[in-house]
Order: sequence, then C-alpha cells, then structure tokens
Amino acid sequence: MNQADVTKLVSKLRIPVHPERRKLRNPKGPEGRIDKLRKTVTGLIKYERIELNYNRADEARQYAERLISEAIQHGDCHKPTMDIADYWLLEKELVHKLFKVLVPRYENLNSCYTNLLKAPRPQNTRNIEKVVLELKGNPYPPLRNKQSNNKLLIQNVLLDAAKYEYRQSKYAEIADKIGKGETTVDNNQKEKVTEKPSQS
Amino acid sequence: MKRHITCLSRIVMQNHHAKTIPNTRFLSTQEATERRNHLFTLEKKRQQENVGRIEKIEVNYKGVPKDFTLVMNKDISTPYDCAKHMSEWHVESSALALLDGNVYWDMHRPLTENCTLQLQNFTVAEPQQVNKAFWKTCSLVLGACASIAFKENVTVKLHSFPGPDIRSGSFIYDIDLPTLPDWTPTHQELYTITAEFVKFARQGHLIERLEVGEELALEMFKENEHKSKQIPNIARTNGKVTLYRVGKHVDISKGPLISHTAQIGRVSITSIHRLTGSSDSDIKQLYRFQGVALPAGVILDHFAFSILTERAKKLNLARSPINKFVERQDSNKENVAARA
Repeated sequence: MNQADVTKLVSKLRIPVHPERRKLRNPKGPEGRIDKLRKTVTGLIKYERIELNYNRADEARQYAERLISEAIQHGDCHKPTMDIADYWLLEKELVHKLFKVLVPRYENLNSCYTNLLKAPRPQNTRNIEKVVLELKGNPYPPLRNKQSNNKLLIQNVLLDAAKYEYRQSKYAEIADKIGKGETTVDNNQKEKVTEKPSQS
Repeated sequence: MKRHITCLSRIVMQNHHAKTIPNTRFLSTQEATERRNHLFTLEKKRQQENVGRIEKIEVNYKGVPKDFTLVMNKDISTPYDCAKHMSEWHVESSALALLDGNVYWDMHRPLTENCTLQLQNFTVAEPQQVNKAFWKTCSLVLGACASIAFKENVTVKLHSFPGPDIRSGSFIYDIDLPTLPDWTPTHQELYTITAEFVKFARQGHLIERLEVGEELALEMFKENEHKSKQIPNIARTNGKVTLYRVGKHVDISKGPLISHTAQIGRVSITSIHRLTGSSDSDIKQLYRFQGVALPAGVILDHFAFSILTERAKKLNLARSPINKFVERQDSNKENVAARA
C-alpha cells in the first residue's frame, strides 16, 4: 500500500512496447547501443522521416516518444528535461526544434507522436525487414493512401451499385410477400365470412 | 501434255471461283485489321510531317513532386512526354491529363498551346472522368480481343459500344457475328476470351489517338458496314473522326481514353447476350459482350469481385443500337414483376 504507483511516476508511452529485450549487439557494449539509438533519435527529429531496420527503429521510437512527452510535460525551463534533450540530441540546434516546433505541434495530440510503417522490400529475398519511422505532421506527402473511403473510386462505385441493386431486389421480394400475405389474409377472412353463415 | 493439264485445271479453278466468289474481294478480319493499322500509321506520319516548323510552348506542371515549367514542342509533345521528364511512376500511373484545370486530355494527344498540366491517376480525389475513360478503354480493348479470339472462318463485325455507365456494373461491346446466328457461349469460351483480354492488356500497348477526315475513316472501315454507316453521323459536326489504336486494332471512340493497356488490372468477361433487332431495323441480331474490370493496383477480395462478376452476368440494359423499344418494354416488364 505504501508503494507508489509506477504508472503515475513515469509518463506512459502511447505505443506498444515489445515485451522481449532487444540485443542490438555492438562491440562497445551497452554504451555503443545507446550511441546508435542517440544517432537514430537525432536523425528522426532532424529529418522527420527515416528508413531503417525494424529492430533499431522500434527501439529508437520508444526513446523518441519519451523525449517528446517529457518535453511537452515539463517545458523548456525544466533542468532535468533540458539535460535529457541535450543528451539525446547530438546536434544542439535540434533542442530548439524540439521545444519550439514539436512541442506546439503535439501539445493537444491524444495519440502517439510517431508512425512506424513497413517499407516495401523485394519479394523472395532474405533482407532484414525495413521500416519507415516518421514524426506525425511532417511536411512530406503521406505514405499511406487513405482512399478506401472515397466513394468515387471505381471499385467503390461498382460495389455500391451492386449493393443498391441487391437491396432493391430484396425490397421487391418483401413487397411481394406482403402483397401475397394480404391476399391470403383476405381469402381467410372471406372463408371465415362464408363459414359463419353455415355455422349459424 | 503436262502443260495442258495445268491450263485445264486453272480454267476449272477460275470457273469454280467465278461461281462462288462475287467480284468484290472480302477481307478476313485479320487482313482488315492489318490494313487499318497500316493506314493509321501512314496518316499519323503524314500529320506529324505536316507540323512543319517546330514551335515551343510552356507547360506549367502542377503536382507531386513539385510545380515546375517545361518547354515542349507545339503539336508534337504529349502529356506522356511531359511525364517522361518526371519519373517512371508518373509515366506508368498517369491515366489522363488535366489541362488548365478543366479540359481532360488524352496522354498521347499532342499539346497545342501554353497550358497548366496536372496528371490524373486512378486514386485522385475525384476520379469520375478517369473512371469513365477506363470504362471506355475496356470496351475498346474488348472489341480488339473479340476480333482476335475467333477463328479465321468466323467473321467478326464490330458494331459499337454505348457511353460508359459504371453503375450498370459492366462494360459492353455490341458485335455482329453473321456466321454464328445461334450461339450461346460456354463457360470455357468466356474463359478463353477473358484470357485473350488479359494477354492483350499485359502487353502494355500505348493507346494512340488520331483525328482523321471522314473520307479516310470510310476507307479504313470499308469492309465493316456498321462502322461505315456510323461515320457520316460522327463526322457531321466538324468533318473529323477520332480514332484510337491499341496494338494493331483501330477503332472509333469519342475519347478520352487512358494511357496504356497495362493499367487494366483484374478483368473478367462475364457473359454474351443476344440482342434481337426490331422488324424495321436492317440488322437482325447483335451479340452484347459484357465484362467487368478494375484498374491495375486495385486489390479486391475474391468474394467482393465475385459479387461484381455475378452482377455483370445479367444483361446490361444500356441502349441497344438496333432496337430501342423492346429493351424498354422488357425493363418495364421487369419493374412490374418486381412490383407485383
């Protein structure tokens, strides 16, 4: 009961985190690993869209997310945050970019700040999986073609017309049934009417 | 003695022929295609030579990757040539060009004046015109395949195809097969025509456009009485007929059409219905070839595509060229049946 709730001490990442540890082996050991990740984070903040191997991208993404969320939470007058930014961004002008460009961009965002997308690779090759890591709201043309909701695309026009025709045929069927039902009801009533006098 | 026999046989042959073949020579479908292709090539060359002194025009390109200006040749350069200056992606994916924001222009039609140019592919925000061009192209290619698919002894006379109506669910070509008066295609035959279509489309023929005078058009379609009847009607406004060439096949269409046949992706020729003419029309019957197709790169689940093919099997009630009233009555009847 006395223990502090960990989730309240550390800001929660808004991305899924891989449950297993990634080795990212390096001759310099853990230090070399962190150096690699620092380079990647710097590159991401600088270019806003980079293509690299999946493991490295996914690992660096977590650090970048954390850096941006800290920056948003504490602002540029907070000494520890400034130290973190200074450590992770190798080019110092990017510290200004982080606080003056990215913080205003992401202040009111409810989701994560980066996208991780699979990059195409040639079929039947044994290359390592490549991905594209990008900051949201970057100035480049979008990678994903979100056109599936465009009703004017030819496949959607065709499917829509097919759906309309199917519905029309169903309505006709229902109308047909109702029409028949009414006539049968009428017949029953007539029968009853004819039956009644015979009973009486 | 030997010579005598040959002479005799020749005489016999000549007599025999004189009885069976009338004076005018009939071209087989393939020969007619070759002839049309040849005339098209000659006319295109002539028109290109007629341009004379080459003048320059400025084309302002708008779109990805960035806006810039190209200096192109007047009456020679096409939007396709402009796309070649950009990237392979532009060349392969662009289906139509949009000039000055309002005129839809074929990719292979020479530009005539200074203009702004936008390239349109199948995934632009408002693809209605591109879709229509695609549907027309599918009809045209269907005509080309039908004239390839049959054996030499079957005469194929293309009639026409109605304007594109995508919501009807199928593209159409009405074809006259005088030697096959009573033909119901089997599943296998439809499958063969589809295969022929796919084979033709995969070859990636550019779809060339040419405007020719009425006389030349009549000369080209001399052996096809349906087309030669339509030509004076088409040429009434300005004396010109717009022709398109796909591979070796030449056909009449108002256009615009898409850039090349490799842009046609998944396709299925679904049914062939017989249209019977009314008693006063001079064409007794036509076959309506129907199919459904999607642009290359559109991924549709097999179930969804089967819905489209099933729908395309029903007779498309687009206007029949030989009988305007029976169709309507039929549709009325269907409506009545649906209501009752």
